[in-house]
Amino acid sequence: MKNIIELQNIHVSFDGETILDHFNLNIRDKEFVTLLGPSGCGKTTSLRAIAGFVQPQAGKVLFEGKDITKLPPHKRQVNTVFQRYALFSHYNVFENIAFGLRISKTPEKEIKERVHEMLALVNLKGFENRNVAQLSGGQQQRVAIARALVNNPKVLLLDEPLAALDLKLRKGMQNELLRIQRQMGITFVYVTHDQEEALTMSDTVVVMKDGLIQQIGTPEDIYNEPTNPFVADFIGESNILPGTMLKDYLVEFEGVEFPCVDAGFGENVAVDVVVRPEDIKIREPEEEALHGVVETVTFKGVHYEMMVRSANYLWKIHSITCREPGTKIGMKIIPEYIHIMAKEAGTAN
Amino acid sequence: MRRFIQKSYMGLVFGFLYLPIAYLIFFSFNSGKSKVIFSGFSFKNYVNLFQDEQIMQALLNTLIIAAISSVVATILGTMAAIGIQRLRKLPRNAIMNITYMPVLNPDIITGVSMMLFFSVLGISLGYGTVLLAHITFNIPYVILAISPKLRQMDVSVYEAAMDLGASPTVAFRKAILPQIMPGIISGFMMALTLSVDDFVVTFFLKGVEVETLATVIYTTTKTRINLSMNALCGVMVIVVLIILIIANLPAKQNAKKREE
Repeated sequence: MKNIIELQNIHVSFDGETILDHFNLNIRDKEFVTLLGPSGCGKTTSLRAIAGFVQPQAGKVLFEGKDITKLPPHKRQVNTVFQRYALFSHYNVFENIAFGLRISKTPEKEIKERVHEMLALVNLKGFENRNVAQLSGGQQQRVAIARALVNNPKVLLLDEPLAALDLKLRKGMQNELLRIQRQMGITFVYVTHDQEEALTMSDTVVVMKDGLIQQIGTPEDIYNEPTNPFVADFIGESNILPGTMLKDYLVEFEGVEFPCVDAGFGENVAVDVVVRPEDIKIREPEEEALHGVVETVTFKGVHYEMMVRSANYLWKIHSITCREPGTKIGMKIIPEYIHIMAKEAGTAN
Repeated sequence: MRRFIQKSYMGLVFGFLYLPIAYLIFFSFNSGKSKVIFSGFSFKNYVNLFQDEQIMQALLNTLIIAAISSVVATILGTMAAIGIQRLRKLPRNAIMNITYMPVLNPDIITGVSMMLFFSVLGISLGYGTVLLAHITFNIPYVILAISPKLRQMDVSVYEAAMDLGASPTVAFRKAILPQIMPGIISGFMMALTLSVDDFVVTFFLKGVEVETLATVIYTTTKTRINLSMNALCGVMVIVVLIILIIANLPAKQNAKKREE
C-alpha cells in the first residue's frame, strides 16, 4: 500500500526545548495509526504538523507524495477532531456540521444531504436544531467527528478525542470510531496516551517518547515484542529484570536458566528480560527452579495481583488462583512468554 | 421590624440616587421660571431647549464625537485585545497593567497632560484634539471589556475553523468574532457613554470653538440659570434609560431561547 502521509526528518522545538527530534513517520493509506506516548512525548505536535498548525523548523511533510510543509491549514485535505471538541457554540448542530461545506460554497441542497448523511453516520439523527451546549460530552464528540468528516477528507486526525469521556462511554465510542473508519474507508491518525485504547483500535501503533519513536508495529508486536524497557513498561504491566543471554535460546535470570525463543544476541551477553504478569504460572515450590515468597495480594476483579519476592527481584503476578502472603511458591514461565531485549534502550530491532 | 429597616435603608439609598434627578425632571415641566415653586405644567422649557441653537449644536457635537470615538476605539481596542491575548504571559501582564493606568488615572491628569502634549506639538485645540482624546481614553475600557471573553474562549475553535477550510480572516469572522461579540458590544456601549459623559477631558481639549453638552451645561449653570437645563437633563436621562432597556433586551431574549 502506498504512503498517504510522510513525515521526513521533522524537527520542532519551542523555546529551545526539542519537541520532535528529526522525526520520521510513514502513514499508509486507509490505515488506523495511533501515536501513543506519555504527555510531552510530541505525539500531539506531530499531529499538528500534519494539520498545519505547527511549522517545523526543519524537515518535510508529504501528502500523497507532494510537499505540503508550507501549505496553511485551510488548504490541506486533512481534518481534525480536537481534544475538547472545539465546536462553534454560536451555531446549532446542523450549522456546526455544515461549516466546512458553507466555506466551500456548496449548494444548499447538497449541504442538506451531506449533513444528514453525517448525522446518520454518527447516530445523531434528529439533533439538527439542538444547541451544541445542550449536548452531552459524547454527543458533542459525535458532532465534532461529523463536522470533520463532512468535507470528505482523505485523512482524519484525532487528538485524544475520547479523553474527556467516562470509561463506559469511551469503550462505546472506540467501537463506533472503528466502524466509522471502516465505513468511510479513510486513514485515521489517532493520538492517545491510553495504551489499552491504542491496542484495541489500531492497525499500527507508534510508541513515542521525548520526541523520538520507540517502536512501530501492530498491537500484537508492540505488546509481545517490545524493543526496549520503556515500551515494555508503557504497554501494559511488565516485569523487567536484568539477565544474561548464555547462548542462543538459553537465558539466565535470578540464578535460574530458562530456555527461550530468542537468538542472535551472542554468548554471555547482559540483556533485559520482560515477562508479563499474566504469563507467570503459580506452582508448588518443589516443582519449579524459580522460587519466591508472596508479599502482598490485591483483588483486582478478574484476577488477583500478587507481589512475589525472589532472590533479587520483586515480581508482579496476575493469577486467578490466590496464595496468602508469606506462602512460598514456585513460578513457571514457558519459553514463549520470555521476551529478551538488548541492554541499550532504543537500539534493538 | 427587621424587614422595615431593610426596606427603609433601600429606600434611602434609592432616594439619594434618584430624588435629585426626579426633582430636576419634575421642574423641567414648570411653566414658571422658578426652580422652587411649581406654577403649572408645560412643555415650554422643552420647546425652548430645541430652539436653542447653542445647545443643539452642542448636542450634535456630543453625538458625533461619541459615535466616531467609540467606533474607532472599539475597532482599535478589539485588535489590541486580541494581540495582547496572544502575547506570552510576562509581556501580556505588563501591557495589561499599562492599559489599566489611564482607567485609574484621574480625568484631570489625562486632560491637562494631553492639553500640554498637544500644545508642545503645536496642534491647535479643537474638534480633532477632543476626538483624539476621547478615542484614547476609550480604548482601555474596550480592551478591558473584551479581554475576559477572549480568555474564556476556546482557541482551538479558531483552529477548527481553519481546519475546515476557512482562511484566517474568515475563521476570525466566523469563529472568534461571534464569541467575543458580547464583550465588543459592552465595550462599545461603555465607550459611548464615557464619551457622552465626559466633561473634564473635553473641557481641557476643546479650545474655544467646540462645545459639547457637558461643557455647555457647565458654562450655562455658571452664568444664566434657566429651566431648559432641566429639560436637557430630562432628555438625557430618558435617552440613557432607552439605551439601557435596548441593551438589556437581547440578553433577555437569549435567556428565553436557552430555556426553550
